[in-house]
Amino acid sequence: MDEGAVTLESTLALTLLVPILFAVLQFGGALQRWSAQDAIAVQAARQAAELGGDSAELRLAIEQALRSSRIDPGGVTISVEPATVGWREPIRVRLRSEAQIAIPFLLTTSMPLSSSAIARGELAR
Amino acid sequence: MRSDDGSASLLTILLLPLMVLSLAAVIDLGALRLGAARARAAADLAALVAVNDQAEPSAGGALRLAPDAELVARQYFELNLAGSASFLAGNAAAIAQSADVAAFPAGGVDPLDGARYERPTVRIAASVPLRSGSLGTWIGSAVIVRAFAVAAAR
Repeated sequence: MDEGAVTLESTLALTLLVPILFAVLQFGGALQRWSAQDAIAVQAARQAAELGGDSAELRLAIEQALRSSRIDPGGVTISVEPATVGWREPIRVRLRSEAQIAIPFLLTTSMPLSSSAIARGELAR
Repeated sequence: MRSDDGSASLLTILLLPLMVLSLAAVIDLGALRLGAARARAAADLAALVAVNDQAEPSAGGALRLAPDAELVARQYFELNLAGSASFLAGNAAAIAQSADVAAFPAGGVDPLDGARYERPTVRIAASVPLRSGSLGTWIGSAVIVRAFAVAAAR
């Protein structure tokens, strides 16, 4: 009777192959999320330059963009430096979040995703 | 009577390196794609920043770029590339310095591709080397991506 041996072999095989399959899916998902976050940071920097710095309007727009990319805004740290800029001054928008990576039988960790973009103030004060 | 003893183990042993390579490829190709998108976004943003800073319109009301438009485009290209230093296979300042940055007045013709710009335009064409990670064994330690951005004044 080989039934027990085949079951054991299959279990061992799955223990090795399933984590790799999950790792492919999890890392792929994290990179896709990072890419979306990058695009939002660029758009936010342009908007911050037009608005002359940090504002409730800017943060609302960032949160809406994050939601439309299926990213929870609650898990993203938004920073705008400096908070106020004048004409021709640089302004940086930074978005930081963490993607959870959970690979069965292997590890559970978080991957830091940092995005930033620098634009130039367009508002004459 | 054929025996299947050990066939699952054998298959796993044969498939395992392929699966590990697939994982490495997913991570490294994903990082390359992300790096390429960042390089292009840096060029786009730099061209927009440069073109949005315009000099006083001429007597006829025609739009004019600021005299330092090229300099500003190069500066912001470098600043935005520097934020992606971990993806680059070179120094952001050196990449920005070697970029082909040009500002054209209305009606200007781009010597790079012969394009004629109806409005004042800033154009950036750059070759950006990206780290290839574990794929370096097969494709070399750096992958060059072309970043091309054109922004016209409005």
